[in-house]
Amino acid sequence: MRAAHDRDWLGGMSGAAAVLSGGAFLTLMGFLLIDALPALQLEFLLSPSTSRLPDGTGIGPAVVGSAWILLIAGVLVLPVGIGTAIYLEEYAPRRRPATAVERSLDGLAAVPPVVHGVVGLAVFVRALGMGTTILAGGCTLAILALPAVVSTAREALRSLSPEVRLAAYSLGATQWQVVRRELLPTAAPSLVAGSCLALSRAIGEAAPLLVLGAVSFITFVPAAPSDPLVALPTQVFAWTTRAHADFAALAAAASVALLAAMVGLRLAGAVLGRALQRSAR
Amino acid sequence: MMLRALAASRVPGLGDRLAGPAFLACALLSASVAIVLLAVIGVETARFFSQVSPLEFFARTGWAPFAETPSFGVLPLLAATAQVAVGALCIAAPLGLLTALYIAHYASETVARGLNAIMVSLAGVPTVILGYLALNLVTPALRSLWGGVEAFNALSACIAVAAMLLPTVVVLSRDALARVPVPLMEAGLALGAPRGRVVLRVQLPAAGAGMAAAVLMAFARAVGETMIVTLAAGNQAQLGWSPLEGLRTLTAYIAQASLGDTATGTLQYGSFFAVSAVLVAVSWGLRSLAGLVVARASGWRRP
Repeated sequence: MRAAHDRDWLGGMSGAAAVLSGGAFLTLMGFLLIDALPALQLEFLLSPSTSRLPDGTGIGPAVVGSAWILLIAGVLVLPVGIGTAIYLEEYAPRRRPATAVERSLDGLAAVPPVVHGVVGLAVFVRALGMGTTILAGGCTLAILALPAVVSTAREALRSLSPEVRLAAYSLGATQWQVVRRELLPTAAPSLVAGSCLALSRAIGEAAPLLVLGAVSFITFVPAAPSDPLVALPTQVFAWTTRAHADFAALAAAASVALLAAMVGLRLAGAVLGRALQRSAR
Repeated sequence: MMLRALAASRVPGLGDRLAGPAFLACALLSASVAIVLLAVIGVETARFFSQVSPLEFFARTGWAPFAETPSFGVLPLLAATAQVAVGALCIAAPLGLLTALYIAHYASETVARGLNAIMVSLAGVPTVILGYLALNLVTPALRSLWGGVEAFNALSACIAVAAMLLPTVVVLSRDALARVPVPLMEAGLALGAPRGRVVLRVQLPAAGAGMAAAVLMAFARAVGETMIVTLAAGNQAQLGWSPLEGLRTLTAYIAQASLGDTATGTLQYGSFFAVSAVLVAVSWGLRSLAGLVVARASGWRRP
């Protein structure tokens, strides 16, 4: 009797918690979609300007702005981040310089996103004279994404079986040959997927771009990194703070577009990783 | 030119000679980015404290940086941050720990996979979207339940922040449960203890440190969370403990006050860095504590 009672009590409690956790997510997403439906139209997605009135406005500039930011952050952070991971995992594991690098990356990971905005404002916008531009936003988010890129890349390299390494070394391959011909092709799918995950999280961040001074009303689609900083998450924020109900629908629709872009980026990462592996073999 | 010629001639070993230093350079660049970032915060904070005494900053209870005679007492912001973070943890910790237990023990494989997928998806939702939902879904629901809930209130922010923390708690404590050695639990079962009791008396204590670390990591994330509290909790910088009223956290102050146009060198500009330094210190401290808890626990078990 006692045994059955023990199990039922824990199982019941944890089952209820699981239903609540899962249900909460589905409720949130369902509500967001219902809110967004009235505004989700083709002209909203493609509109070249965001106006102060709910009619005829759209997210064209914000989508292009976020794409620019993604490109800049990716170009800056991926080589450095993956290179750092290779150094930490393959070249100098557990040596003193590696521990120092790990310590400072731990410190960087503890920095909240909004603080990245404060430092980005001081360094990129002011000291380096970039102004509140897409370039400054991309640089700020590159630094924000760095710890995540390094840790997902390290995980990808660590998940490879040690036999591959040992076999290659026993055949007389040099360290660089092992990295280039064995580790990178084998780890490619999880490397690319991890990088895309880290970048997709970064482009969803609103707080740092808000602190940089991202604009939410712009009448043209940004065409260069030196154009004013516009992005999807800050557009969601700007419309959410407007009290009018029409703006709530716009914010919900922009949220759905942002989520779709992030999921799309992760799917693209999965496909690209598999293609890379196939071409390397 | 010479490099390209060398590469074209495929001199054996060139890649080896260049690769090591190149990867080292990447690692050093990463480390120096982190150090420069922390140094910028440190220098600007020191400059702020040369004009505002640290005693005033940490002991006064008024935060009015844009008033005619500005006052910089950080306590109301700190109290608001603690209130939202602890409130969110009160929801997310029990819910997350129990959900992790359910995934580890009671769920069928399909259900466990579904719950894991939901947690991954929830972790990917930008916090600005959770802020939108707090304002447009949670707050109206609360107001229909209690008349006294204000349009901007701490409770709504707590609930949305809890949703943000849930994946962190679930994933980290699920992994902690999975790390408990199977022989340990088999020993319990062999002694005739029922399964439920083995979970409660063997697995949970053994995974306790990992689960505590999961909650501490979530705590650190809650302290740094910005968009939800900015959108849902409003901007009243005053000491008050009612969850039904609005408040203003450390992060919300930065997000609302800095819109890119505060002039460099002013006291207000300096206050962003002082508040940032507090945020980084608290977040780093909590994460270090999480690491320490895990390290100590694993040290105990090893003979």
